[in-house]
Amino acid sequence: MTLAPITVRICYLYPRLLSVAGDRGNLFALMQRCAWRGIGCSVTEADAGEVPDFSQSDLILVHGGQDREMTAAAQDLASKAGPLREAIESDAVVLAVCAGYQLLGQSYTPPAGPPLQGLGVLDVITYGGPKRFIGHVAAECELNGRRHHLAGFENHSGRTYLEGNARPLGRLLAGSGNNGEDGTEGARYREVYATYLHGPVLPKNPWLADHLLSRALAHRYQDFGPLAPLTDHTERQAQAAALRLARRPARRWRAAAAAVSRMRRPVRVPALAGREAGVAADPIADKESGWTSP
Amino acid sequence: MRLMNSAPPAGSLDDGATAPPGAHARLALALAAGKAAGTASKVLRAGGGTSFPGAVASRIDPRILQKVAAASDAHMVVVTGSNGKTTTCRMLAALARAEGLRVTQNRSGSNLLQGVISAAVRGTDLHGRMDAQLLLLEVDEGTVRLVTPQAQPDTFLITNIFRDQLDRFGELYSMARGLEAVIEALPTTATVILNGDDPLVASLAPDAPARRLYFGIRDETAGAAAPEHAADTIRCVHCQHPLTYRAAYLSHLGDYQCPECGQGRPALDIAVTTVRPSPLAGSEITVETPAGAYSLQVPLPGLHNVYNAAAALACAVAQALPRPPEPAQARRAMAGLRPAFGRLEQIQAGDRRVLLAFVKNPTSYNTTMREILQRPGRKHVLAAHSNTVVDGEDFAWLWDVELEQLVPQLESLTISGTRAEEVALRFKYAGADPAIMRVIPGREAALQAALTGIPAGESLHIFAGYTPMRELRSIMQRRAWVAPFWQE
Repeated sequence: MTLAPITVRICYLYPRLLSVAGDRGNLFALMQRCAWRGIGCSVTEADAGEVPDFSQSDLILVHGGQDREMTAAAQDLASKAGPLREAIESDAVVLAVCAGYQLLGQSYTPPAGPPLQGLGVLDVITYGGPKRFIGHVAAECELNGRRHHLAGFENHSGRTYLEGNARPLGRLLAGSGNNGEDGTEGARYREVYATYLHGPVLPKNPWLADHLLSRALAHRYQDFGPLAPLTDHTERQAQAAALRLARRPARRWRAAAAAVSRMRRPVRVPALAGREAGVAADPIADKESGWTSP
Repeated sequence: MRLMNSAPPAGSLDDGATAPPGAHARLALALAAGKAAGTASKVLRAGGGTSFPGAVASRIDPRILQKVAAASDAHMVVVTGSNGKTTTCRMLAALARAEGLRVTQNRSGSNLLQGVISAAVRGTDLHGRMDAQLLLLEVDEGTVRLVTPQAQPDTFLITNIFRDQLDRFGELYSMARGLEAVIEALPTTATVILNGDDPLVASLAPDAPARRLYFGIRDETAGAAAPEHAADTIRCVHCQHPLTYRAAYLSHLGDYQCPECGQGRPALDIAVTTVRPSPLAGSEITVETPAGAYSLQVPLPGLHNVYNAAAALACAVAQALPRPPEPAQARRAMAGLRPAFGRLEQIQAGDRRVLLAFVKNPTSYNTTMREILQRPGRKHVLAAHSNTVVDGEDFAWLWDVELEQLVPQLESLTISGTRAEEVALRFKYAGADPAIMRVIPGREAALQAALTGIPAGESLHIFAGYTPMRELRSIMQRRAWVAPFWQE
């Protein structure tokens, strides 16, 4: 006899159109964390031109993309807008990353060209800026009265400003976040969680992955209890490393510190060029000092 | 080699006749200091001086590359793109040497500005004269627009554009725009050689004045019906409609067509018409070129090396060599190649063997991994990645590597580098058993631990980013398992 398994239904939006820099790792994280707990997981992919049944989705993923792909996605999203909005208003869970985040907002105005209309479920407005925000990010989030660290990597030129009903997902400890000005990162509305963090964000922030899963299970099964805990040793190590990277001094200060330590290093002669010294003197160090940023 | 006069750096001096008396002395001093730096770094075993001489010389004379380029009449080839630069350059150098040409090139993947200047310093005497007939430079795709305004290539090759270190270049398309600017600045006498199978590369600067040649593969039996997951540019660059493929050879490279706007792969000038496994090693290929057909044995495995061979031959028949290479000579030159260091290099480590693979993006990782998975037996693996200026800060691309295919064959897994935690996380979610996984950030300790667990006669497979690959190799070099990379 087989028991009807508990299953969470995931809808993966634009897996080909909006998929950059390993974002599918978020799907892997959700699937594995279900599998490790014996929870079933069904994944429906919906690319441009395909309209999934959002009323059968507990958790919807939409990720980042480059400007061209985002324009194509914005045009396609119009055909999905009604049912997707309905699902969100009935508390389906959504993780939206980068371009996906911008598309759920009111509008995105690129540096050149006409503004793109978003889905409008998040009360945020995005403008394309002249400079990209690229680097590690650390933020602090409060969910259900508990504080969590959020770590990841951002790479975006959009500046997003929160208005009206949108709350930030977190407060920045390091990095640029929504706009590089107001110290906020990401946005929340009902069960929508939007962020600029790639990396991908869920594997190294397992608390967020589990929060999405438990909200998705609550969306499907009214009386679903708390998730079984997992041994998240590797995850915690990875998050701690990412937080350290986000909070280290800026590159030019690191370069200056490295230069000072090179000057202080005693002169090496071949006989003394020990194992570690040999590694440190590898010409990569020359490359580093000679690198001119494009 | 031509000097580009259109945009001299602000406040700089003019060349040649109008240069003040001190200019030549400064060039000579810069060259002498650069050469001395190269010798010093070799003597001190600091790594063969592949980029340090350039740093020293350009500090003394910032316009050194421009001056050396202007004084030389060597044919200059610049090779750029995401993957295959180093191997393509080795192949072209072998073809040129087989024809009796003297070649100067930047080796060992030193393809940022200082590495390029180092090559020029090494190939030039103190009067700024260059002995070589072919100056062959592999240049990082983000650096190439800093190099070409100073020294304009006669032949410019773009191997392919993959999703490579996005955190350094911002978006794929902004890097493509940078490459377009380089192509557009080339004169009509220059030749641009583009990968016709790469939709993004083939579409670069279509109205540029330079001569344009496309290379690619035209053997549908060698391809798959649809691109694999990590494919980057699979939408039409003109209308954004998804492309259809008659044959997908490697990631997004293939014979493509847009069903919406009709834009397809351009006609290939240099076409690989048959690809067969070679009874010796690698592939046996036929390449049709405007100079006739070539039958080559590519001793390095994989379709990516077929592309590299086609690209090198395209340069050779285009104009990089004074005449197209003689077919039998070319066959011998190609068959005699060994892999570039770190490109699935086989190293005897006492009674064990090390296979060292340099991986830097999903495509290079997947391609190398598939080569290894075809070999029988369970695998001992050392995976190492570090965040450096060369390797980038963002390792999200690891999640696009199909490590799920490697995990079932793992016997042991050692993880190292400054981003070891990130690599371990990726392997955990690919299904690796934590019991066989060791995280040892130090490279020497990791190599030692990885080798210790391996029975005699078996192999350790190393997948490493550029910096840890160099570090691991220099450890093996001190143990006299490999020759220093600059002696290759």
